[in-house]
Amino acid sequence: MKTTCANVMQMTSEQVLDIAVLAGKILLCSGAETYRVEDTITRMCAVRGMNSVTVFCTPSVIIVSDEFANGCTLMYRATRRGTDLGLISEINNLSFNWYQWPYSYESTMRLLKEKLERPTRPPWLVALASGVGAAAFAVMLGGNTYDFCAALAAGFMAMLVLRKLAVFRPSSFWETTLAGIILSLVAVAAVQINHECNLENVIVGAIMPFLPGVALTNGLRDYMAGDLMSGNARVSEAVLLVGGLAVGMAAILSVWYM
Amino acid sequence: MLLSVLFAFLATMAFGVLFNTPKKDLLPGGVAGALGWAVFIYMRDIWGYNSQVSNFAATVALALLCEVFARMFKEPVTLFSIPAIIPLVPGLPMYQGMKLLMMHAYNVGMDKLVQAALDAAFISLGILLVSSLARLFKNSQQKIKGLKVRV
Repeated sequence: MKTTCANVMQMTSEQVLDIAVLAGKILLCSGAETYRVEDTITRMCAVRGMNSVTVFCTPSVIIVSDEFANGCTLMYRATRRGTDLGLISEINNLSFNWYQWPYSYESTMRLLKEKLERPTRPPWLVALASGVGAAAFAVMLGGNTYDFCAALAAGFMAMLVLRKLAVFRPSSFWETTLAGIILSLVAVAAVQINHECNLENVIVGAIMPFLPGVALTNGLRDYMAGDLMSGNARVSEAVLLVGGLAVGMAAILSVWYM
Repeated sequence: MLLSVLFAFLATMAFGVLFNTPKKDLLPGGVAGALGWAVFIYMRDIWGYNSQVSNFAATVALALLCEVFARMFKEPVTLFSIPAIIPLVPGLPMYQGMKLLMMHAYNVGMDKLVQAALDAAFISLGILLVSSLARLFKNSQQKIKGLKVRV
């Protein structure tokens, strides 16, 4: 077995629990699977010798408790979840190096809080990534250069508006509905301007960044890990978001085809 | 054909940026996405398998590659597999089905939607297969090393 370095052993068990729950919080808010959150918290506590810590995690809550009657319970309610694979990777590194962690309790907490509250990336960068992804997808389906440009514009615009509106915290269903409305508006406009554009290629390319691929993939991985409740929650979230996208697109296209 | 594989690579990288993947992991993710799309398009368009079987094979191929990358780069698998799966998502039949339903062509529309659902189901089956195989592998490794296995 690996030997634990003195730093983690010097922390009190409450402090280790604090750090572990904060790490789990960051993982859950960045869109990690349920078993990764539970595994990280249990493993970080086990390094300190706390082997009876039990974790229950669903997409909206983390409950950490001791199996003994005098143990304490921590609970965290996650309201807003995004996707940030970079943060997942950072926390993963932390939990791998936890047994030889060189920092004290205070600086670790500060480090993690910085990660949790670090500024989101500029909206234009995210929108540009979404636009390039959409455009590349339009070409994969057999689109031409005009389709590429139109899908780029549609993916860019829809994501930009969504990011700008994110401060008002709209519900995710209406968020994707709005994305569907904007991208079909841009696509219809592009087809009007240039008749070599194919509406189908542009729209199918542009919806790609808004399809809930992450929710679906994670939901299925949850099912396989035996976390049925989280699996159900995530898969139904995916279905709901696809429905929202379809409603938004249908609203514009039905007017267009009338 | 080659062009579409190239664009699948580009699309996967773009989705990697969208999901804030660390820079050093973008390239392997793109390779996995391009491999998945290449397997899919070869099986469906050249060997003439139906789109469900092609999707399944493509997902298994890319998920295996992602597991290898995850061990190589010591990162969680989802870092590679989430962007890489995106090119396979059946957006086209979903859109066509929705459009046909909107135009009151219910028969053809439902046909397309069921197609899309089956495609998605077979992609899921591929992920499920590889991720449970990987779990099995990991647990057996831990058993060999004498570590505790999470039950």
